[in-house]
Amino acid sequence: MEMKWHSFHRFRADNNMIKVEIIKGPISFFPNDDTREQDGAELIFNGRVRATEYGNSITALEYEQYEGMAEAELKKLAEDSCQKFPIHDLFCKHRIGRVEVGATSLHVVIWSKHRKEAIDAMSWFIIELKKQVPIWKWAILEDGSRMPSKCEHDH
Amino acid sequence: MIKIKVKCFSQVKYALGVDEFVIELNAGTSASELEQKIRSEAGGKLDGISLRIAVNQKYMPNNIELNDGDEVAFIPPVQGG
Repeated sequence: MEMKWHSFHRFRADNNMIKVEIIKGPISFFPNDDTREQDGAELIFNGRVRATEYGNSITALEYEQYEGMAEAELKKLAEDSCQKFPIHDLFCKHRIGRVEVGATSLHVVIWSKHRKEAIDAMSWFIIELKKQVPIWKWAILEDGSRMPSKCEHDH
Repeated sequence: MIKIKVKCFSQVKYALGVDEFVIELNAGTSASELEQKIRSEAGGKLDGISLRIAVNQKYMPNNIELNDGDEVAFIPPVQGG
């Protein structure tokens, strides 16, 4: 049994596994996996909704997507990350619709042999996500009004 | 004439007040010419906002010629994450 798992992971290391999902409800994190014998690093990033957006207090963000293109661009970025960096697998969930302050809007997990490539890949993936993937934020202000966020990809 | 479906998001949706619309254009119209029409329709609300062009859900150069039945989106700066 142990040998079987071992060869399974070796196979995966040469063939990156990518999972990309756009989710309309709360994000459930990817389950813990203690069978990854070739991965010394498991890097998890969770993006959460801040209580302020461009200096305004908000109650929630509403994420709007270009349906179809958003998921395709996210998948392309995940594939590009695996080409550009020597990582094994990249899983990503991005929530759309209304997301309350404090809740998770983005969940990314990268597995790699060592930590450096996972950290570099995570940084690149998120920077590119904020440039390429057609998803936008609408700020829901405390008075209930709804405005497209002016917040761009510079932070 | 060609018929183009225009999808509107974020600041473009806010400026025009619609999710999408269909427009008839002369054959040979480029995406950048359509962008000028939309900016003009927005009456200044899109001034200073850079727009990338997606045709049939793929980023394309602004000078691309549009074809009958194309779906076009003018993509304001994206804000995922």
